[in-house]
Order: sequence, then C-alpha cells, then structure tokens
Amino acid sequence: MAALGVTHLVKRFAGGVVGVDDVTLTVGEGAFTALVGPSGCGKTTILRLVAGLEEPTSGEVRIGGRDVTWLPPRDRDVAMVFQNYALYPHLTVRDNIAFPLRVRRTAPAEIVRRVRQAAELLEIDALFERKPAQLSGGQRQRVALARAIVREPALFLFDEPLSNLDAQVRAQTRAELVALHRRLGATMLYVTHDQVEAMTMAQTVAVMASGRVLQEGAPMSLYRDPASLAVAKFIGSPSINTVAGRSTGARFEGALSCVLHAAEASGAVLAVRPEHLVLGAAADASPATVTLVEPLGPESLVRMRLASGEELVARCAGEAPWHIGDHVRVGVAEGRGLCYRASDGSRLL
Amino acid sequence: MTRVHRRVAMATAVLWAVATIALSWRVLKGIDEAARSREALYRAHASQGHAPSPAFPPSIEASALASVQQEERPLIVHDPDGVELVTAPVKDADDWEIIGAVALYGRWRECALRVAAPAIAVLVVALVLLGSASAARWSRPGITALGGVVAAGAAAALTLSQLQAAAAALAPRLVVPPTLARLALPSPSLAFAALALVLLAAAGALAVSAVHWHAEAAGRPARVRETLAAWGFIAPSLAHLLVFTIAPVGFLVWISVHDWDLLASDRPFVGLAHFREIGADPSFWRALRNGLVYALYVPATMVAALAAALVLDQPLRGIKVLRVVVFLPYVASTVAIALVWQWLLHRDFGLLNAALAAVHLPRVDWLGNPATALPALMLVSAWGQLGYMMVVYLAGLQAIPASLLEAARLDGADAWQRFRLVVWPMLRPVSTYLLLTGIIWSFHGFTLVYVMTEGGPAHATDVLVYRIYQTAWEFRRFDVAAAMSVVLCALLLALTALQWRVVKGEPADA
Ligand SMILES: Nc1ncnc2c1ncn2[C@@H]1O[C@H](COP(=O)(O)OP(=O)(O)OP(=O)(O)O)[C@@H](O)[C@H]1O
Ligand SMILES: [Mg+2]
Repeated sequence: MAALGVTHLVKRFAGGVVGVDDVTLTVGEGAFTALVGPSGCGKTTILRLVAGLEEPTSGEVRIGGRDVTWLPPRDRDVAMVFQNYALYPHLTVRDNIAFPLRVRRTAPAEIVRRVRQAAELLEIDALFERKPAQLSGGQRQRVALARAIVREPALFLFDEPLSNLDAQVRAQTRAELVALHRRLGATMLYVTHDQVEAMTMAQTVAVMASGRVLQEGAPMSLYRDPASLAVAKFIGSPSINTVAGRSTGARFEGALSCVLHAAEASGAVLAVRPEHLVLGAAADASPATVTLVEPLGPESLVRMRLASGEELVARCAGEAPWHIGDHVRVGVAEGRGLCYRASDGSRLL
Repeated sequence: MTRVHRRVAMATAVLWAVATIALSWRVLKGIDEAARSREALYRAHASQGHAPSPAFPPSIEASALASVQQEERPLIVHDPDGVELVTAPVKDADDWEIIGAVALYGRWRECALRVAAPAIAVLVVALVLLGSASAARWSRPGITALGGVVAAGAAAALTLSQLQAAAAALAPRLVVPPTLARLALPSPSLAFAALALVLLAAAGALAVSAVHWHAEAAGRPARVRETLAAWGFIAPSLAHLLVFTIAPVGFLVWISVHDWDLLASDRPFVGLAHFREIGADPSFWRALRNGLVYALYVPATMVAALAAALVLDQPLRGIKVLRVVVFLPYVASTVAIALVWQWLLHRDFGLLNAALAAVHLPRVDWLGNPATALPALMLVSAWGQLGYMMVVYLAGLQAIPASLLEAARLDGADAWQRFRLVVWPMLRPVSTYLLLTGIIWSFHGFTLVYVMTEGGPAHATDVLVYRIYQTAWEFRRFDVAAAMSVVLCALLLALTALQWRVVKGEPADA
C-alpha cells in the first residue's frame, strides 16, 4: 500500500494533442479515488502515465513517496485492470493469474498458495483449467482482478473495468469491488466515464474535462457544491437544470428567479437539482406546462417547459399528481439555487 | 420426412442400384469377351502361331471368318446348338494385318451374376434403410448420410473385388500363342469400371444426402435459397477444382499403376511394380534425403524472418520503405533470382568469392562443389522467402493486442519474457502455418534446381521434383515418374493434414 501523488503532469502527444494538461492529484494511502469525465478527457492517459506505459512531457509521478516518473512499469509495483481485461488467450486461468509471479521468479510453492488465495477471494477456483475464450465477461473480469491482486501491488489502476458488463453484473461487481477494496485496504485509482459508478464506489472523485481536473472531493460534496457549471452538469442523474439569465447581486432574474446573495452583477446561469425544484405555490414561481411524467416507483420525474422555452425536470416523492398538459407553477427551494458566471462557468455563489 | 421425400429417396436408391447392376453387367461382358477358357478357343488362319487350339468347326467357320474379315471387330455368332460365341480378329505382331480369327464361348452370364450379387445386396440394403427410416431417424442427418456413404462404398468395394476375382479366374487360363495375345478386343478396363463405380457410389450418396437435406430444410425456404445460392457460388471453382486438380491426380494414379509407354498401344496394369522399382532405387532415396535437408532452410528462414519482423515492427522513420525492400525478392521471378545468384556465387566472377578473395580466403566453387551446392541453394531460397515470411510475421505481430504486451510489462515481464511468454505463443499459429506451408513449398522447389544446378554436382542437389522431371522427360519413364509423384503427393497430403490438425487445435483468441 502506498499513496500516489501526481504533480503538474502534462502529456502532449506527437501531433500536438494535449492529452493531460497540468494535472495534480493525490490518492491517499489505502484510498479509493475515481477519475471521471467525458470521453476523450484524458483519464486513460493519466492512468497510463502512472503505470509507466507512457512518458510524461513534464511533471512528476510519486508512488509511496518514491519518484517513479522515469521508471519502467515493472519497477513501479502497480497493477492495472484493463477495459478489455487483457488476459493472455493462450494461457489457462490458473496460468494467467500466476503470470506476474512467474515472471518475477517467485518460488513455486508460494505461487500455488497465492494463486489459490486470490482465486478463492474472487470465487473463480472452479475455472482454473479454462482458457479466457471459454469465460463469460464477468468471469474474465474476475480473472483480471485476480491477476492484479495476486501480486499484492502498491497501487491498483482500473480503466473502466465494468464497461463491458451488462447492467446487472455491473451493479454486482461494483459492490464486490468496494468490498475488495475494504478487505485489501489497497490504494486504488479507478477510471470511469460513468458518474454513478464514481459516486457509488469512490471515497474521492476527481472530475476531469479536456485534460484538466476540474474538481476533486468527496462524492456528496461534489454533488452539493460543484465548483463549476461543467462539474454541476456532469454529476447527477438526471442532470442538473440550468436556466440562463442575469444576476443583479441580490437576485437571479431569468425564466426562473430566486434570491441570491452574490456580490457582483453579471450574466449568469442558474443551476438547480431536480429535487430542489418546488412545484406549486412557491414564492417567485414561474408558470410551466408538464410535458412528461415518469413514475419510477418511490419517486417521479416531472418534465416541463417554461413559457420561455427552457426544459426543466423535477423530482418529487411518490406518485406525481400532475399529467401531461397540466399547467403548474415552478420555483426554486430556498437557498438551493446554484449560480455560475455565464462567461466562464465559475461559481458566482 | 414427407411422403414425397420418401418416394424420391426410394426412387434414387432404386435407380442407383439398377445403374450399378447394369454397369457391372456391361463391364463384366467386356472382361469375359477378352478372357475365355482354353477349351472354348477356336482359331482359323493363324498360320504364324503354334496354337494348340482346335480349328473352327466347319459349321461356323465360314460365317466367323467372313464376319471377322469384313467387320474387323468382334462379333457374336451362334454355333449349331445355338450357343453364343464371340469371334474376334487376330492381328499380326505389328497390330496391322488380320491373320486369322478366334472364336470364344461366352461365359459372362455366369460371372456377371457374381458381380451383380453385391449390387442386388446394395439395393436390398438401401430399400431396408429407407423403408425403416422413421421420421425420428431421419432427423439425424449425419448418421443417415454416413450410412448411405458407407453402404455405397462397401458396395463399390465388393463389386470391384468381385470383378477382379472374375478377371483373375479367367486370365490364367488364357494360354494363347504370342500372336493370339493381341486380340483386337476391348481390353477389360478395370480402371474404367472402378472409376464408374466410385462415381456411381458418390452420386448415390450425394443424391441420398440431397434428398435428406431437402427433407430437413422443408418449410424453411430461406435456408433452401441460401444453400442453393452458396452452392451456386462454389460451383465454378468446384468445377475448376474437379477438372484441373482432382481429375489430373486421378489420371496420375492411374498412370502409376500401368506400364505407360508413350508409344506403345497397350498399357497393361502392373499394380505396384513401379512403386517397388522406385523403392529399390537409391537415387530416389537420395533425392528424398536431399529434399529433407533442403527443407531445413524453412525453419532457419523463419527465425531470420521473425527477427526482421520484430525489428521492422518498431514505429521508426523510414520503416515502411525497409519493409518493402525486404519483401521485394518475394515478388521477383524465381528464374531471375536464380540467374542473379548464379552470378553472385560464380567461382571466378562471383561477388561472394570476390569478397572472400579480398580478405585472403580461398575461393569456393559454391555451385560446383557437392558439399556446398545444396547449402548454397538453401541460402538462395531463404533469401527469396525471407520477405514473405517477414510480412506474415509482421501481420501476426500486429494482430497481438497492444494491451496484452502492456499487461505483461505491468506484470513485471522483461523484454525477453514478453517475447517468450506472450509474443511467441501468440504467434504459434502463424509459425505453424509458415513452417508447414514452407516445407510443402520446399518440396515443390524446382526452378532453382533446374536453373542453377540441374540436380548436380554428383546429384548433390537432386530433389524429388527434379528427379520426377528427369524421369519423365529425360528417361521417358512416365509411369515411374507418376509413381514418384504419387509418393510426393502422399507426403504433402500428410503434411497438410498435420497442418490442419494443428491449426484447428489452436484456441480461439479471447
Ligand atoms: N497515442 C496517442 N496519440 C495521440 N493522441 C492521443 C493518444 N492517446 C490518446 N490521445 C488523445 O488524448 C486525449 C485523451 O485520451 P484518453 O484516452 O486519455 O481519453 P479517455 O478520457 O480515456 O476517454 P475514454 O473515456 O473515451 O476512454 C484524446 O483526445 C485522445 O484523442
Ligand atoms: Mg479511456
């Protein structure tokens, strides 16, 4: 177990594409950090830089306090689980798991013991004699995990390991991975483009966009206090509602309006989570027409359109008493409106 | 299995059996007409012979002689008792002038029955098979088709053995003077009979399985259409294969078991005599041994090609040009390569010897020395094949997912371990393919030997294909050459079968 520290990491590819743009990030010893962001934002590149599969243009990578920036992957003591699992197709499950120990010339008895241990932990000892081609996606995933943990590395890297699984197996594996993390107490850096995955699994989430880390923090703090409009939009499902308008300092004026305590007056965007929209007779309420009601069981999503054309979605508990075409009044729950500058998306309040 | 299908299948079986019987009948008649018992042999006017056989009975002499002289071909006449006789002209030793006639009693009915018996058995078996074919059994196409094929094959084999037995029973009794040996009768064509029977059996099996397939696919028009379309697409190349590959091979086998002289008019069946001859011929074995040694260039070239591929797989500047350069010899004509290398290896003007001389080493007569000629040829072959093998290896390397090698790097494997534990096993199908096809091709290697050494010096580069060529076109022993070709063919077939097995045994990539 060791902490990971990445400082001012830059990766510029041949041809001028900047994959990672001055990223600084820490994963504490034994922590589980998720790196999340839209496709092409540089998540995989960071992982590869940490693993040593890619050389940085500048910056530094430290694992357990040791500068490993220029060390080859085999000397970094990291294990990585690839999106396509990267199992050796010509080897059996047993030999796949034993591979990292074999190449490090571990004693045979020790290999047998640790392979068995890893396989029992992941409940794949029944598959030992099979080749990867004879496994299901979920089983391959477990074998890849076993191959990673058998070495007891200082750091685990995951690159969207669940994206090839179907929804049910994914939900199950998610829970298992969290349990595994707790049992091993290992440091893990987990890349995904699925914010639900990041929020549910990680202790710390770092949101990325175009090569930069926008914000880093505990899942709920990111949800409650997104530092920028981009983070606010990326985290949460359904997405946060946004309405363009302007801030007068004391108030936000637009298709929706609410009280602010902002210092400056400027063009602004109001962002409100679906559960913070209040339907009915609230102060500052604006008229809207219900366009769709989606009952989800314990709660319902009500989609509506404001007179100015903006679409909103509200979450309300239980069954919604509205129907398509109903006219409602919609407002913002007190103190729940998030306001960002229209110019650069930075937080106004 | 509908009633219609059942009827069609039944009709097919009946037709097939009837055709088999008819064919046997016809073939046996041919045999029997040529091979008569001595007791029944009459002759007339065969003045040159020392024939022990009696002269024609007066009652039939006139008609027999007249018919033979006029028609110059076998005719059927009847003796006074109404028994059927075949008269045939007897020609002189040059196969030119008719010098007499023979008359022979036909015994073919009796023999034909022996041949027809298995055919009738086939008919019965086929009928029983079809009659008992319940819907459930027909739902297992593999077994039924196999049954049909086995039955057909057994019938053909039985029929053939009976034919041979009949011929053997008659042949030794045909002790005739030399002049009478050249009966101008259709010779008993066992080969023809064999071919026809095999074709019949195949057609029968095909018909049964076609009916079967139709029964199975009934009610699934899309599948019928698809299958027909597929066969439609295959048909042209299948026809090509049959006419230009299968048929010549069949002809080759036929030649190899006959005394096949280009000039002689008759080409008797000699069985395995030619094979025994080549088995006893040391030059054949030497050619085989040379071929095996020569084939060693394949694994050697593979090693070099793999090394080249590993180097050229790097993303370096100008690497594409280098790849093309290495590949170039493969597209060059073998004759051109042979001529260039003949010059390079020349004792007096060759580049290689010039280089040796420059460092004060003795000149070597590369192609003129029995010790160096074969290695020199191997070198040239290796040079010519290197590019091809490298390109195949390059494709193999690029088919290995990069993530596998990255996983191995993370797992702690150094460069050599990555090669030994990941790259090499992943390339195994490619290597097997190259090795086996390379060896197969090395046994075909003719041009280099023909142009550069002509099998010399002192047979040092005499390989099997060259030996076959010489035997056929220089010694004019086409039958022996055919026998060698059959041996070579069997060898290559065995290698190909091995290749199939190995390639099939490969695990599918995950
Ligand atoms: N080898 C490379 N050469 C040039 N550009 C690259 C290379 N690898 C990645 N990039 C670029 O760097 C950027 C970041 O890529 P990266 O693979 O890290 O994205 P990602 O966040 O993992 O996306 P995804 O969620 O789709 O996997 C992309 O714009 C990509 O086009
Ligand atoms: Mg990625």
